[in-house]
Amino acid sequence: MSKKSRFKKFLRMQKEIETGQTEEQVAGEQRDSELQRTEEHSKSTVATAGKRTGIIGMLDYLFNKKYKVLMILPVALLLFAIISIGVQYATTGDFINRAVSLKGGTTLTIPVEKAVDLTKLKEVLLKEFPSKDFSVRAITSAGTQVGVMVETDIDATESAEIDKLIAAIGDEIGIELKKENYSLEGTGAALGSSFFKETIIALLVAFVLMGIVVFISFRVLIPSLAVILCVFSDIVVTLAIVNLMGMRVSTAGIAAFLMLIGYSVDTDILLSSRVLKRKEGSVMERAYGAMKTGITMTLTTLAATVIAMLLTESEVIKQIMTILFIGLVVDLIFTWIQNVGILRWYLEKKDKHA
Amino acid sequence: MHKLKKIIKSVRVIIFLVFLVLAILTIHPSFKSEGVAIRNVVTNSSASLAGIEKPMKTASPMNREKIISIDSKKIVTMLDYETIVKVLKPDQEVLVKTNKKSYKLKIKPIVNVTVLGETELVEVPKMTTVVETVNGTSVTKTIPEVKKITEVINHTKYIFGTNESYIEQEVVEKEVPVTELKEVNKTLTEIIGTEDIGLTVYQAPTSNIRKGLDLQGGTRVLLTPAKEISPEDMEILLANLDQRLNVYGISDVSIKDASDLSGNQYVVVEIAGANEDEVKELLAKQGKFDAKIGNETVFRGGTDVNFVCRSSDCAGIDPTQGCGKNGDMWYCRFMFSISISPEAAKKQADITGKLSIVPSESTDRYLNQTIDFYLDDQQVDSLNIGESLKGKPSTDIAISGSGSGISRQEAIFNSLENMKRLQTILITGSLPVKLNIVKTDSISPVLGKEFVKNAITIAIFSLVAVVIIIMIRYRKPIIATPMIIMMFSEIVLLMGVAALIGWNLDLAAIAGIIITIGTAVNDQVIITDETLRGERAQYHNWKDKIKNAFFIIMSAYFTLLVSMIPLLFAGAGLLKGFALTTIIGLSVGVFITRPAYAAIVEILLKE
Repeated sequence: MSKKSRFKKFLRMQKEIETGQTEEQVAGEQRDSELQRTEEHSKSTVATAGKRTGIIGMLDYLFNKKYKVLMILPVALLLFAIISIGVQYATTGDFINRAVSLKGGTTLTIPVEKAVDLTKLKEVLLKEFPSKDFSVRAITSAGTQVGVMVETDIDATESAEIDKLIAAIGDEIGIELKKENYSLEGTGAALGSSFFKETIIALLVAFVLMGIVVFISFRVLIPSLAVILCVFSDIVVTLAIVNLMGMRVSTAGIAAFLMLIGYSVDTDILLSSRVLKRKEGSVMERAYGAMKTGITMTLTTLAATVIAMLLTESEVIKQIMTILFIGLVVDLIFTWIQNVGILRWYLEKKDKHA
Repeated sequence: MHKLKKIIKSVRVIIFLVFLVLAILTIHPSFKSEGVAIRNVVTNSSASLAGIEKPMKTASPMNREKIISIDSKKIVTMLDYETIVKVLKPDQEVLVKTNKKSYKLKIKPIVNVTVLGETELVEVPKMTTVVETVNGTSVTKTIPEVKKITEVINHTKYIFGTNESYIEQEVVEKEVPVTELKEVNKTLTEIIGTEDIGLTVYQAPTSNIRKGLDLQGGTRVLLTPAKEISPEDMEILLANLDQRLNVYGISDVSIKDASDLSGNQYVVVEIAGANEDEVKELLAKQGKFDAKIGNETVFRGGTDVNFVCRSSDCAGIDPTQGCGKNGDMWYCRFMFSISISPEAAKKQADITGKLSIVPSESTDRYLNQTIDFYLDDQQVDSLNIGESLKGKPSTDIAISGSGSGISRQEAIFNSLENMKRLQTILITGSLPVKLNIVKTDSISPVLGKEFVKNAITIAIFSLVAVVIIIMIRYRKPIIATPMIIMMFSEIVLLMGVAALIGWNLDLAAIAGIIITIGTAVNDQVIITDETLRGERAQYHNWKDKIKNAFFIIMSAYFTLLVSMIPLLFAGAGLLKGFALTTIIGLSVGVFITRPAYAAIVEILLKE
């Protein structure tokens, strides 16, 4: 197929979404309107025909009749997240907990054979360096402690201080620390802040560009806004949860948020294009079809992130996977409850006008 | 069977298979890692004297020269290499065989010369000073004296046919060195160890995929210039840094410039292999070396210095001073000679000509000012100028300095390291601007190896989990199998692209790979579902179904693509690897793998 004709088809597809009709639909139009009439008269019967009763029946009912009520859940979640981040900002002056790579300091990663008493190590370090801030964490893989990570605001370029730090840690753990058996990451304070600004700007620009692409793809306002709102909610709620967990976000973490934009958008575009372009079945049936595909997609990625999260020995990968995991679970709510709800409301409004 | 044939004949599948094969060839996997690959050869070491060359930076990992045996003992792991090298003795000759050539190495000893309190008479070559004209300037040089002698050689010649002989005399003129008896300090030369053969090695790679710092260990240093410099100066700066590190002896180095959204300039230096702390010293010092008499500069490091001696006959621990203990610490002095340019020598003559001689009773008399050496505006040494140098241009200068340690061995080692650094700075000169270190990452190679093993384990388990979910959802193997095969192929293709463009795989790149695989699986689910659904409703033909699926896929592709673009410019290029891997991976997937998968699905499910 030539580029020109492919582009023409793409334009035709967009028109289909706008008007809700394909060129080949003329033949099947009658059956479609019949289905629609049936739906209007008895929404619940179409939806519940052939489905089990009980919990699923109740969920079904909620989904179909009370979808507007159900939308309270995602909206409430988003509001709660915004308040939580606001509180964090008011109390700490920052809307996110930053790791060394985003605010300056030094991180030492030491693999260990036997478990280390973390609280004792932190005590020893605080005694040695009373004016400095320390965070001592364990690196676990499959449940066992495989390493120790010490984060501090000691400047990495003060080599005398760093040597003292390494000696103190080595003494406490009982391992002679030579260059071969530990990793050190040091970032100057000015650079850390600058990185933070940069990555946040990158995140915002990506978000805006994503919005533009979505709008160009769909051309209709409300569904595009619904997609953008869903992605926005995913990121904000994930951020709030990450803050509550006390996780310190590094440059890798910001990269994970960017990955989240991509995965979020995937499921939303799937839902919107299925619901808007097809005419067979009710809106909910189309939504259910999309849900089957979409949830499979999210499940495969979730499975991979869970495994990586549990087995990895790298803090970088662990942070990326954790953020992705939380984000994808949150996405399930926002895509399949909020976005579906908005689309339904939008289509019903459109039908009323038609 | 008939369907399989149709699949193989489909154009999109053929394109995909071609790329797949190309990818496998580029990766060039080998299942056993045998031998140790050469990362670096130290100049003037036994290895380099035997002819072993430094590896080219651009050589692909599988093409690197690797050592497979030493003296017929096979080398498979790093441990084999280290055990053999540990027991080498000075003056031993070993045969080092690599996958390319064989080399004969002579092991050099580490020699320490100590000066004893007594003196002895030795015959030494007599040195005399001559005046030569170099480039229009008369320069004084000290060379060994020679004298011409005539030698008469008697040849006995026989007359043909008789028993008579006669003697023919040949007069030959020869130049022989003049020696004299000189009283010198008695020295004791002791061999204190075996000099390292000068090879940095690492376990031979098993494929052409290059491992970044996070996976193989190394040091990454981020520097910013103290003030903003022009693009031309940045190029000079990068070239100078590269030369400095090469001269010092580190060749597996990557030096790039980077910037961020606010326009700040950075230099990113990455050195693979073992942690090298001295590098930070080399990088942070601007390296301004000035030799001044009073306030006037005689010469500067770099262009004014023609030659810096680095061989053991004119560089090393100062034999007249040696090492001594002061309190708890040992101190050693090192010395090496350099030649400065004739222009600089003339300048020195001009300046010394104006000085006066300090009156003294001893035979050694000095001028009233010293020549002071400054490194980065800090005085590091100061020498008296002998009266014989007054007004005379002299190109040979001896530079000395010191080093310290808690033991004699350590003091000697540190002195030699300091000497090496000073030699490097004198050879390469100073950087256009001072650099400040803003970030250092040093990753231990042990941890790096752990990551690789760990990453492979995670990849396997994740793939298994994804396969299980696909099987549960689709149940029919005819649907699940192509999906699973395509998933694996996607990974191989991505690795092939990484190997082809010489991309360094680090944690950021791995994150990019994760996104790519995740998106690939998602897209395949979309295509599969779209085509399966259609089987029930008869409204859309096949083309429409694929069209619908690809609309979703392309929209998602573009949104991810634009999300990655800001990362290419932000944050001093540290996330660039992640962004690039993702962009390339997604593009390869969307334009090669996905269409092929759609073709396969079409052929398999269409009735």
